[in-house]
Amino acid sequence: MKSEFLFIALPASVLIAPSAFAVKYLTVEQAQQAIFPGKSFTAMPVKLTGSQRKAIQQASGVRVLHDEQQVWRVSSGGWFIVDEVVGKHEFITYAAGLNGDGSVKQIEIMDYRETYGGQIRDQKWRAQFVGKTSKSTLKLDSDIKNISGATLSCRHITDGVKRLLAFYEIALKH
Amino acid sequence: MDSPIDSRQAFRSFNIISTTKGVDGDRDALDSTNAYRFGGFEGSAKYRLLSPFKDPIGVALRLEAGYLLHDEVDGLDQHERYIKPEIDFQKDFLEDRLICSVNFGVEWAWGKQPAEQYPRELSFEGAAGVAYRFAPNWYAGVEIHTRWEYPLFDLYNFEHRVFYAGPSIHYSQERWWATLTWNYQVYGKGVDEPADGQTFAEETRQLFRLKVGFNF
Repeated sequence: MKSEFLFIALPASVLIAPSAFAVKYLTVEQAQQAIFPGKSFTAMPVKLTGSQRKAIQQASGVRVLHDEQQVWRVSSGGWFIVDEVVGKHEFITYAAGLNGDGSVKQIEIMDYRETYGGQIRDQKWRAQFVGKTSKSTLKLDSDIKNISGATLSCRHITDGVKRLLAFYEIALKH
Repeated sequence: MDSPIDSRQAFRSFNIISTTKGVDGDRDALDSTNAYRFGGFEGSAKYRLLSPFKDPIGVALRLEAGYLLHDEVDGLDQHERYIKPEIDFQKDFLEDRLICSVNFGVEWAWGKQPAEQYPRELSFEGAAGVAYRFAPNWYAGVEIHTRWEYPLFDLYNFEHRVFYAGPSIHYSQERWWATLTWNYQVYGKGVDEPADGQTFAEETRQLFRLKVGFNF
């Protein structure tokens, strides 16, 4: 007789780690008012062409995952954009407010579903993006500091904002 | 914000329940034995030298240790203690949805009798795998791993080597995760029991592993 099966059921593992759970922090309307209080918004969704996608990828060095981008024109000038980036297990949804000149006014985390990395909601971390433009480096550990234990989320949000700024230059500016 | 904690994951995984078994055993007295039982305790610590999320390649040192109450092949009672340092390499692609990993380790184990012939063994282990997140929360992958054993910690006393390969599927939620793996022995060579490209003295033809984890 030869061995046929070895069935190892389960190391039930206990992970000792800080926890954050699926939370919808902000609706679109709440994020709009958090970034542009008192202003009104006009939906202007953008469908990217193939050449625009390619141009955004070349300019930002970040892959464009979706053809459509949710965009609103702000009554005071500027833009409000809802975007999502890959999290460890699910997508992270966030909003970016751009000033009329294309610089970042503010970003807000709208929806976060990961066990780790919820610290990206920290106001001081998000404040690093204020004033960034498409000419900014936007690189983790360079002009954007990392958060220990949230590296993947920090990296993807940073890449996402870099991509949105390229999107502004190529698809919104003119 | 710049604390180095990110690079240390001490005892991030602590296995409170370990192996069960169901073996059509190679050892005559154990043929057609199937049972589930508490296997022992295992713990690990990991120190990340380079992050796969921001460096060109991820490199981590991992130290695993355990106390096992049963031999994992035939289930015999034992009091095995082991320690296993290893080095892990990880390279991610496609926004970290495609993960490639390779690791190498050395295991020193004591207390392997009576399940095995020798009380202590040295093993060299290696593994390589690819996993892809094909949908939110879901990863599918393939892996291959090998193990080379030397009884009595004597490198001139080769006992057997084995290669397993197979698919795995992983599901994760915020508070828990599960990984199901099937491995098939694609090659084995043992000095105790040569058997046409496979070895069964201390190994199995197939191996199913279900791991369940809880985060808190």
